Amino acid sequence: MARILIENAVKKFGDFVAVDNVNLEIEDQEFVVLLGPSGCGKTTLLRAVAGLGMLDDGRILIGERDVTYLPPRDRDISMVFQSYAIFPHMKVYDNIAFGLRMQKAPKKIIEERVAEVAELLHIETMLDRYPSQMSGGQRQRIAVARALAVESKVLLMDEPLSNLDALLRLEMRAELKTLLARLATTTIYVTHDQIEALSMGDRIAVMKNGRILQYDHPTRVYDRPAHHFVGGFIGNPPMNFLPALVEKHEGKLTARIGTFRITPEAMLNSALQAYEGKQVIMGIRAENMEALSIPADDALEVEVMVLEPLGAQNLLTIHVGQETLKVSTHPDFTAKMGQKIWLRFPSSKIRWMDKDSGRAIVPDLEKVMA
Amino acid sequence: MKSQKWLPYLLVLPTLLYLGVFFAYPMVSALQLAVRADVSYLPLRVEPNVAAARGDVLAMQTVVEILDRVRGEELLPNGRTRPIFWFLVRGESVSGEVVTGWANQQNLFVESRTESTQARVISGESASEWTLQHINTMFNDFRFRSAIWNTFLMIVVILPIQFVLAIIMALLLQAQPRGTTLFLYVYAIPLGISDLAAGLVWYALFTQRGFINSALVGLGIIDTPFIFIAAGREGWIFLAIVLAEIWRATSIVMVIVVSGLQAIPREYIEAGEVFGASVWQRIWTIVLPLLRPSLQVALILRTILAFQVFAVVIAISGGEVFTVLANETYRWYDRGDWGYNNPNVAAAYSGLIMLISLGISFFYLRAVRTQEEVAKA
Amino acid sequence: MNALKRRDLPEEQRRALRRQLLRRSGVYVAAIVLCLWILIPIWLIATMAFSTPADVRAFPKPFFPNPISTDTITFFLNAEGILSSTANSIIVAMLTFILSTIVATPAGYAISRFVFRGRDAIRLGILSVRAFPIVILAVPLAITFINLGIYDNVFSLALLHTALVLPTSVLVIASVFASVPYELEEAAQVFGCTPFEAFFRVVIPLTLPGIAAAGVFAFVTSWNEVFAAVLLTLTNRTLPAQILFSLNKASDPFKFAGGFFMLVPSLIFIFFIRRYLFNMWGQISK
Repeated sequence: MARILIENAVKKFGDFVAVDNVNLEIEDQEFVVLLGPSGCGKTTLLRAVAGLGMLDDGRILIGERDVTYLPPRDRDISMVFQSYAIFPHMKVYDNIAFGLRMQKAPKKIIEERVAEVAELLHIETMLDRYPSQMSGGQRQRIAVARALAVESKVLLMDEPLSNLDALLRLEMRAELKTLLARLATTTIYVTHDQIEALSMGDRIAVMKNGRILQYDHPTRVYDRPAHHFVGGFIGNPPMNFLPALVEKHEGKLTARIGTFRITPEAMLNSALQAYEGKQVIMGIRAENMEALSIPADDALEVEVMVLEPLGAQNLLTIHVGQETLKVSTHPDFTAKMGQKIWLRFPSSKIRWMDKDSGRAIVPDLEKVMA
Repeated sequence: MKSQKWLPYLLVLPTLLYLGVFFAYPMVSALQLAVRADVSYLPLRVEPNVAAARGDVLAMQTVVEILDRVRGEELLPNGRTRPIFWFLVRGESVSGEVVTGWANQQNLFVESRTESTQARVISGESASEWTLQHINTMFNDFRFRSAIWNTFLMIVVILPIQFVLAIIMALLLQAQPRGTTLFLYVYAIPLGISDLAAGLVWYALFTQRGFINSALVGLGIIDTPFIFIAAGREGWIFLAIVLAEIWRATSIVMVIVVSGLQAIPREYIEAGEVFGASVWQRIWTIVLPLLRPSLQVALILRTILAFQVFAVVIAISGGEVFTVLANETYRWYDRGDWGYNNPNVAAAYSGLIMLISLGISFFYLRAVRTQEEVAKA
Repeated sequence: MNALKRRDLPEEQRRALRRQLLRRSGVYVAAIVLCLWILIPIWLIATMAFSTPADVRAFPKPFFPNPISTDTITFFLNAEGILSSTANSIIVAMLTFILSTIVATPAGYAISRFVFRGRDAIRLGILSVRAFPIVILAVPLAITFINLGIYDNVFSLALLHTALVLPTSVLVIASVFASVPYELEEAAQVFGCTPFEAFFRVVIPLTLPGIAAAGVFAFVTSWNEVFAAVLLTLTNRTLPAQILFSLNKASDPFKFAGGFFMLVPSLIFIFFIRRYLFNMWGQISK
């Protein structure tokens, strides 16, 4: 078992920078998810760790060993491929035993290991068959079994669930999570599915355009996105964003949306001071707004465009100026199209972001302490 | 995909008709030519009359005894008549019995129509019959054994080298060095070179005053040119032909292998890499087994084409000192100064080549079946 | 590869990098060696073709044409029967090109587009024709052509050459059509084309290069074919048949210039259809 350290990793394809100066530290036995839209460089980064495509710059350490330029077979890794890459000309048994055979493991050990992982993944009855006779879910299990059989320090998974249908994906997600928790290998898991990332990862690294925008625990990534993009990418519905103007009003720093004023948390004052007279972005999650059917002083008057009852909640679509907001309410809250309602924004749930860089405006810790 | 009743058949019809006329029909008649012979027999008549019933049948050149004769008349197309002699003859029939019956003067050689007591059968009705005569001629020809031996030896020597070379070319292209497209073009050039041109190119290298001797003498390795192509130097001729064929016909295998290789998902090879296989192990345990269907097709195609090789042999050796099956087909057919002008034996050679080709294709298809196919069956 | 220059790199990595560098240079060396294997003989025959006849007869032979001369080529072209047989070759190859395209295109379209009873059998049947040494059929065809009185005729040779290329053409053209989604044709029909218009306005423009490539391949096959050509013609010989026929009495300059002359079209044609080669043979191996 080993920790993984990626330092200043750069990978280019011609002029295109796929991985742009990435730093990432993964603890021993940690399960880290690389999350991002397609083309963000997450798979390229994973492949660099695997040794399938060398970095143009930077270093990769597995354990204490620098593996930057080593071929995959010298890295002590194993991998589950997106298309599974189960060899069609080998029986399931031979597929699972492949890695061990390449390590020239004794026959007896191979037999034991294959039996063990086959049992773990409930495919012990299929060992004598060819993959062409298998369903997608079964192939997925074979791919995982093959990766586990070699007992490598590091397990890499490249969108392993993306080729399964929705129901099977849910089932495998839970199964993989319990399995990996038990095995305690260091795992890097690439996905573009934010729910998968939130539900499985110990930590999530959100990537865009070859850079890591945020690397944190799932709850924090969800709750305190470090970047406008992260808030918009994660969560369903994504985080709502409204432009607001930072102003002094009656001696207090406020953010104004139209004529409606919000007072940010006091701990942000020093950080927001710099934005006085400028626009910032205010972000808030759908479930963090309070919808009222009667007017209140501290609530913004809005008009309901659409109401979607989703069972556990009702989802309202609302226009504020040019912007659209999604608000989730208790299922008992009903409103008609065009009806006026009032929204309350709890200041502790509001995240502020720089309009140009998209970065979250965070409390200036030194000043807050002082 | 559309489904329609008659249109697809209409569209396919020209091809099927074409292949029927210019492939199926000649194929059948090739086999027929090889095992049929035109022969003439003289059927005897029970009475001295062309309209009389036929009796026993005599072979050509049978000598018969004349027992009796009558002078009859034959009706000519212009309405007139002319005299014609009918003979009652006795002789040995085709089936070996002594028989008697009537025959007229047109079919017999008689010295004197009125005096002779003996005659010889010289014509009759022509018929076509099954015969092994052409096949025997082929088997007994003094060149037959060397033709078949050389052809097989060529295939056995050339094919493995070609496949290794083609696989190496394909793997090199797969590694995508800079200039891959250029390499690919160069490797594909021989695809369009005829066996005659290839033969001439390699003749230029191997002939007495050719490039190999030029280089050897120029470098001072030998003093006088070595004569590669001459009677008694079949080994050198064979080498020149083998090199020419490898040079010319590896491209087709390369193209088939490259397209087979392109169809193998990269992830299979990467999985091999990740799970610890070295380059050689990846080639042996992953690439080659997955290439099997492509290799099989290439093998069949190349074998069939190898049986048709002919102009290379003539261009390099002149076709006399060294021969192959297709060359013999040509020699037996050829109506020129060098050929035997015997289409039947030529057809026997064609038929032989066809049978061997089909046999080998069938063998490959059975023997090189993938394990998967065996498992499914 | 600049990483090799880094001093702080552990030995293990330096070794891996060196091995990689070695492998990559190995790939280049091997690729270039194989290129030379193919190109050097072509270079040498070209040298002969562009040397003076005296140089061609000389020993040791020059490895570069010096001086460059077209005398040898001119000598070859002026030899008896060469120009007329070249004309014959072009006619036969063009006829093969046209005939095979006309016959094979509908069949290729039907196989790639329609589901009909016997489709697989027909496809397999056409494919299995390739398992026969078709050229060998020249013997009975020659007899038939003599009986029909069309022996020694460029048209009858083109008929045989078409049979020779037809299976390949059908399958290649089928794969070319298969690469154009049927939805495009349907879309054209939805927007008011008749099925015929849809075929000619949408499918043909998209598939023309591929069909032409199949045709060029037919042309090259016919241009190169010797066996049937010598069997089926006597006075109206094609170029390969004429050269083969003259070999016994030909001089070296004739042979070398002839070899080069026959080889040039293939250099050009393969260049033009190189993109389609894999399309062609890839399909056939399925």
